[in-house]
Amino acid sequence: MAVSRRLDRAPGWLAILVVVVVAAAPVAVVAWSLVDPSGGVWADLWATRLPGMITDTVTLLVTVLVGTLLLGTALAWVVTVHRFPGRRLIGWLLVTPLAIPGYVAGFVWLDTLSGPLGARGVRSIWVCAAAMVLTLYPYVYLFARAAFREQSADTLAAARSLGCSAPAAFWRVALPLARPALAAGGALVAMEVLTDVGTVRLFNVSTVADGVLRVWFGTGNRDAASELAVVLIGTAVALIALERGLRGRGRFTQGSATRRVGTQRSTPVATAGVMASCIAVLVVAVAVPVARLVGWAFEARRTGQTVSVAGDLAHHVVNTLRIAGIATVVCVVLGTALAVLVHHRGRVATVFGRVAALGYAVPGPVVAVGAVIALAAVDRRGLLPGGSLLVGSLAGLVYALAVRFFAVSYQGVEAGLLRVPGAAVASSRTLGARPWRVALRVELPMVRGALLAGPALVAIDTVKELPITLLLRPFGVDTLSVWVWQATSESLWVQAAVPSLAMVVVGMVAVGALLYALERGAEVVS
Amino acid sequence: MAVHDRTSLRIRGIGIALALAATLAACGDDDGAPDDTEARIVTVYTGRHYGIEPVFDQFTAQTGIEVRFTTGSDPELRARLTAEGANTPADLVMTADAANIELAAQAGLLAPVDSERLDGAIPEELRSADGTWFSLSRRIRTIMYSTERVAEPPTSYAQLGDPRWKGALCLRPSTHPYTQSLVAALLNSVGETETLAIVESWVANDPLYINSDTDILKAVAAGDCDVALTNSYYLGRLQNEDPEFPVAIEWPDQDAFGAHVNVSAAGVTANAPHPAEAIELLEWLATTGQSTFSNANFEYPADPSVAPADLLVAFGEFTSDLASVRRLGALNAAAVDLLSKAAYE
Repeated sequence: MAVSRRLDRAPGWLAILVVVVVAAAPVAVVAWSLVDPSGGVWADLWATRLPGMITDTVTLLVTVLVGTLLLGTALAWVVTVHRFPGRRLIGWLLVTPLAIPGYVAGFVWLDTLSGPLGARGVRSIWVCAAAMVLTLYPYVYLFARAAFREQSADTLAAARSLGCSAPAAFWRVALPLARPALAAGGALVAMEVLTDVGTVRLFNVSTVADGVLRVWFGTGNRDAASELAVVLIGTAVALIALERGLRGRGRFTQGSATRRVGTQRSTPVATAGVMASCIAVLVVAVAVPVARLVGWAFEARRTGQTVSVAGDLAHHVVNTLRIAGIATVVCVVLGTALAVLVHHRGRVATVFGRVAALGYAVPGPVVAVGAVIALAAVDRRGLLPGGSLLVGSLAGLVYALAVRFFAVSYQGVEAGLLRVPGAAVASSRTLGARPWRVALRVELPMVRGALLAGPALVAIDTVKELPITLLLRPFGVDTLSVWVWQATSESLWVQAAVPSLAMVVVGMVAVGALLYALERGAEVVS
Repeated sequence: MAVHDRTSLRIRGIGIALALAATLAACGDDDGAPDDTEARIVTVYTGRHYGIEPVFDQFTAQTGIEVRFTTGSDPELRARLTAEGANTPADLVMTADAANIELAAQAGLLAPVDSERLDGAIPEELRSADGTWFSLSRRIRTIMYSTERVAEPPTSYAQLGDPRWKGALCLRPSTHPYTQSLVAALLNSVGETETLAIVESWVANDPLYINSDTDILKAVAAGDCDVALTNSYYLGRLQNEDPEFPVAIEWPDQDAFGAHVNVSAAGVTANAPHPAEAIELLEWLATTGQSTFSNANFEYPADPSVAPADLLVAFGEFTSDLASVRRLGALNAAAVDLLSKAAYE
């Protein structure tokens, strides 16, 4: 009986192994040097740049985390509990900074603030952190808002009736209940900060991620870079563990709320204050960058700079949508399949899942080069028909993008599955359903929130992605992000305006889809 | 029913990863394989990504050879070329920096080319001894100063370390190959001790690091710094838009080794699928295409007999450090180490 049960589960394990090996190959290629650590490299690094890199990384990480958690949670709370004119629209608009790539926000703020702050003053870790907070807070906002909406009004009412003031009810009940969601949003923010290499360079902030590329590409010393990459992966793994810890063992189950936390009528002064704060955030995070981009776009039109070497706007938009679309489908299918396979299979399987998702914890250029090495190794075997090659093919590009981003959908579905009541699964099994049938008919429908939110988040990430697309795109296939790079690498902000705006618009459509999914009762889980 | 479900679902379970792999492979059929039985084609990996399109169009119009290219950063394209090995579609590699093309040659990624046309057009100092790469344009990394605030500009790289430029010096970070190659050239000309002293004196002036030559020049114009190091053509671009742009060039070390020369260079790959077309493109760029290639970007042509853009006449004549160009690749690692040791950001 036991043996047959084990055999029963073997195909699942095989599938997990295949996915893990395929997904982790690029990162594994890079981390290979761990087998042969070179002490001299470490000593040199420690003597020169490493302490500074670590200080900068920690400072940036803590500042951006604190900033996004404060801003995202505060906005989510006031939008959830206050009734004010335009609340629904403002609630939606507050997510849109997610559509603005960090490096675009970076160069807009760099140019906008060099006047008042001076070229020296603007290149600081604090301005960099502020630009990052303004583009990354929506991650926290989304998760926090979903958590607050889920909370039962009865819980808060009970707190109030037991003598809590309204602020005390927030601090002592609502906020602790939202802790897992805040940890999940914060983890996404932390990943974005740790793997960023575009924004930090604009502001002369030298993080460990930047150091990986600096050492790797500067000296050709791949050992040193790989060792730094391992430091980075280690940090990311530690953060994921921390997030799990913060999420806690406790399951918060609330009496399924027939009454959700409702909006309250507030005093006119409070209403005005809430509206003014929300609008102020929107002006700084969305209106100013978009207005600068529109201004530059008009200048580009006046001076005839609205096409790139590869073609016109339509060419880039079509390629961007096509690549992001395919990559999103692959990420979601792969992420969901792995999450279902790993679920119910215990600790070892969960660890495998983490390993497969490591691409999200590594800077894009590292995944890009790792993927090229892995794909080229397959190409050398000549397995594909007609002498086709994976490097430089659409398939190769989609693969590398999936390695980088499928964790976004995987983690969402995985966390969602953990919240499916065990009783539902148990009764289905008792009634004779096989595990796969339970997954398809019971568990996945119950986590449809994560299933719907995942694609939008992956699509937004893919549209903004640069280093992988740059190195692996097929000939003649340029995306919006590549066009932006062509221009910004020569500081031609005017030339970068049209593709940047187009990217923001495409991203906002994806944000719209995400919000639609949320409005339909889906919830963001991670 | 239950049996049927069980089997089909389990097959689905095993098959998801395999199906995905198959889908990916199927996608691969449409791409990657060039159909070059009819048209002649040449494929270029280029780290130089400005102003190349008009040049390639002109080449195609004159020769009927189609040019396919992909842009990217020099080291990443080199990593891709290394990984691809014999399967590479690349025929020609083009870089915006002398060290990067030499590093490609040292990695065995380039094949020697024996061409009288190339040897005749490109001076010996500007091509590798074994014919693996050839410069196509010269870019001079030189001293720039504000014409509004600086009456006596520094006249050597070392003088940028003079305390009178404290807080008034703009430099590009050490991550950039232009900075690395400048230091490599200094290493070649004055040796390690003196180069370290020079770089440390720059760092002691608390320079403002800006990772864009254009932005450095704008910072000089705006008063954020008075003196700076950038490539010459960036001033050409800005003065082409605004002839009154208040920054001027001082050619450094004119009584000694001369101004640092970096180059845009290209070489035929060791595994080029179309070596004949690659050589044809290379020869064309070094001869017929020289003027378009260099002048559109206000660079100096690699072939000294080709006239530079009119705007560059105002920059004046200068002595340049041709002797270092072929050594920049070999000295790159030492330069990066030295920059690190000097705490250059």
